[in-house]
Amino acid sequence: MLNRLLRPAALLASAGAITLLATACGSGSPATSGNAPAYAALASSPTCSQLRTQNPDLAGKTLTNAINPHTPGYESISVSDPTKYEGFDIDLGEAIGECLGFKVNYLPVAFDALLPTLQSGQANFIISDIYATKERAASADFITYSKVNDGVLVAAGNPKKLTGIDDSLCGTTSALNKGFVEVPLVEAQSAKCQAAGKPPAQTALFDNNADCVQAILSGRADAYINDVNTVARFVKDQPDKLARATAVTLPYSIGIGVPKGQLPIRNAFTAALTEVQKSGLQTQLSQKWSLDESAIEAPSLVTAS
Amino acid sequence: MESFLHYLSMPYLLDGILITLQATALGFFGGFALGLLLAGMALSRNRVVSGVARTYSVIFRGTPLVLQLVFVFTALPHVGVVLSPIMAAGVALAANEATFFAEIFRSAVLGVDKGQTDAARAVGLRPRTVLRRIIGPQAARAAIPAIGSEAVSTMKNSALASIIAVPELTLRSNQLASATFDYFSIFFASGVMYLVLTGAITGLQLTIERALDLSRVGRRGRGRPAVPSTVNEVSVIETPVATKELTATRNVNGVVSRAEAVGRARVALSISDVHKAFADHEVLRGIDLEIRKGEVVALLGPSGSGKSTLLRLINHLETLDTGKISFDGIEVGYRDAGVPLPEREVARQRVDAGVGMVFQHFNLFGHLTARENVAVPLRWVHRVPKDEALAAADHLLGRVGLSGRAHALPRQLSGGQQQRVGIARALAGRPQVLLLDEPTSALDPELVQEVLEVVRSLAVDDGLTMLIATHQLGFAREVADRVVFMADGTVLEQGPPQQVLDTPKHPTAVRFLRAVHTVEV
Repeated sequence: MLNRLLRPAALLASAGAITLLATACGSGSPATSGNAPAYAALASSPTCSQLRTQNPDLAGKTLTNAINPHTPGYESISVSDPTKYEGFDIDLGEAIGECLGFKVNYLPVAFDALLPTLQSGQANFIISDIYATKERAASADFITYSKVNDGVLVAAGNPKKLTGIDDSLCGTTSALNKGFVEVPLVEAQSAKCQAAGKPPAQTALFDNNADCVQAILSGRADAYINDVNTVARFVKDQPDKLARATAVTLPYSIGIGVPKGQLPIRNAFTAALTEVQKSGLQTQLSQKWSLDESAIEAPSLVTAS
Repeated sequence: MESFLHYLSMPYLLDGILITLQATALGFFGGFALGLLLAGMALSRNRVVSGVARTYSVIFRGTPLVLQLVFVFTALPHVGVVLSPIMAAGVALAANEATFFAEIFRSAVLGVDKGQTDAARAVGLRPRTVLRRIIGPQAARAAIPAIGSEAVSTMKNSALASIIAVPELTLRSNQLASATFDYFSIFFASGVMYLVLTGAITGLQLTIERALDLSRVGRRGRGRPAVPSTVNEVSVIETPVATKELTATRNVNGVVSRAEAVGRARVALSISDVHKAFADHEVLRGIDLEIRKGEVVALLGPSGSGKSTLLRLINHLETLDTGKISFDGIEVGYRDAGVPLPEREVARQRVDAGVGMVFQHFNLFGHLTARENVAVPLRWVHRVPKDEALAAADHLLGRVGLSGRAHALPRQLSGGQQQRVGIARALAGRPQVLLLDEPTSALDPELVQEVLEVVRSLAVDDGLTMLIATHQLGFAREVADRVVFMADGTVLEQGPPQQVLDTPKHPTAVRFLRAVHTVEV
């Protein structure tokens, strides 16, 4: 009797054991660090050589880059090999890694989980098209590398006649990622709308850009406001359905997030980034990824204090 | 369609299935194990232990899984616990699923008929054995559909692990959709993959259900068929329970001497000043009885007079309020000073005292065949090897005229047959004293006789000491040495059957006997 009862149980248990074993041995998240150095010239530059000597803690290590890989051009999986990530930010991180002598591992998380992931120590840095704001600097130190230009993505023909983050948003819905800097901007605009007796500017919050764009395509949202190159890329992909309404200038820079107050890694990253820019590599990478409207900015720090 | 098929066979997504399976397995097996622990704690009589389990359930069932995942992944590292994404997902899923598993197990255990526990305790099984051999197998059967559905739910919940960087199917689908803009083909493909996975779980569930389906048991035939009995039903009954003193005495000295012999025998069971109340209702108000070895006592009295409660107090299925019950010095359930004993020691006392019980509703173990039921006390109390125990069970079934039904499940037997198996089970432990709680009250009239025949043979041929609560006046007159008439928790009168049944003194007894007699005639 008991045998009959135990047999399926044993079957289940062994199935479980096998799976657990596989887990223990197993395949983690896709790691992309290529083996052959892609930026040999950079790596062999005197500055980078010196930096590696100065930072023995980084050289030879593997650091984890927390990314929200839903922004083609900046960071997404590679369509030709989905086990790899690609984009401007990915290349920039790899270049800094080669300069400082570390390999890069990736942790793909939701956009609003980027900072908590860094804070928890699950990741060592963030290069994921994240805007370096004072609020975010409460959770991480930022080293900026580019100015922010935003664009407004709308349905083809701009049916709501949107002109930016202004009164034209009153009575519309913007699809945004959770944690985007645009969220408070639209909310502030909504307050202005209501003060003027107009309907509020709604937000619909999603976990990634693809879901935001789907919201526009399905008519659930009227606008998506984000980095202008990202917007341009979406328009290029579906020109018959999507359009770019306008550009919006925001007083922010895009930055690399590193753990708060950890000066060695922050200084090393800043120096390596400066070298990347000086060598012209950042400009090359912008061109490679068609970030036509990017505005390179010399590294500066955004911190809480 | 083409791109849909492309994604359906894409190695990147297929690898994601593997990670999904790992996260599901971690959540399912971890949750299963933790759920067992929680259910055990929740069922504990210790309030602190059950309170801890309850608090755990409130927290983990009452908060979203998303928060739990993020908590394990990003908050635990702050206190030094850094888990990989897949392990973090496994821990969070298991912690969450455990609360649901615990409720499944708890309700499955509570769903097993209380009579099963009574019968298991009565034959002297220790609590752990009751759980493992009687409650467990029956609860497990009841729980399988819910466990299967929980497995499916765990798999679907594992998709939420995508937010903490577990590269499972949903995360990969999302990333692929972001990179290719091929939103719908990808999500249809991953939807189909999930359907195949959850369909497989459902298939496994149904297979296990089928394998354990009791209604298929009889048809398959369990083990070797019993040796067909050539003996007649009931009429041939041997005497494995020994003590033929009384019958022997009777044979030598004639009919009268049975009463004398009983009077000379030592006291097998003494009951003094027993009180018992349930909440405010006083069921027994001071019972005093002495039962001698080999004596057959019929307990008569209206429903609610306390007969059943008295029997259940005797073998400590219920606890005494005050008073004392002693089998030749053994007070079942208590230390010398009247201090209550833990149940596992009580189980041994029942065996030492040699007290067996037959229940009104038979209480056969529903998942065991007739011979397995009878073998229970032998295998799991007396530690007799299985084959030997089953052979002895077959022998006992022969005694109650059921050799031919040894492989039937209780549900496949008539009430009368079930009760005969119940008696055989009670005899298997070689009891000194047998308590029978209205053994024929739940039977259709035409089945009453076959059970009474068996009981009669135990009295006449075996000289077994018996205390029988019954409404069968004719049977009491014929078999009992003494009739005890109870009402409202007291003994109103007692004496030889003729005296109490033919010339009752107390008006309540007169009224009751007249009413029962009217029905019988």
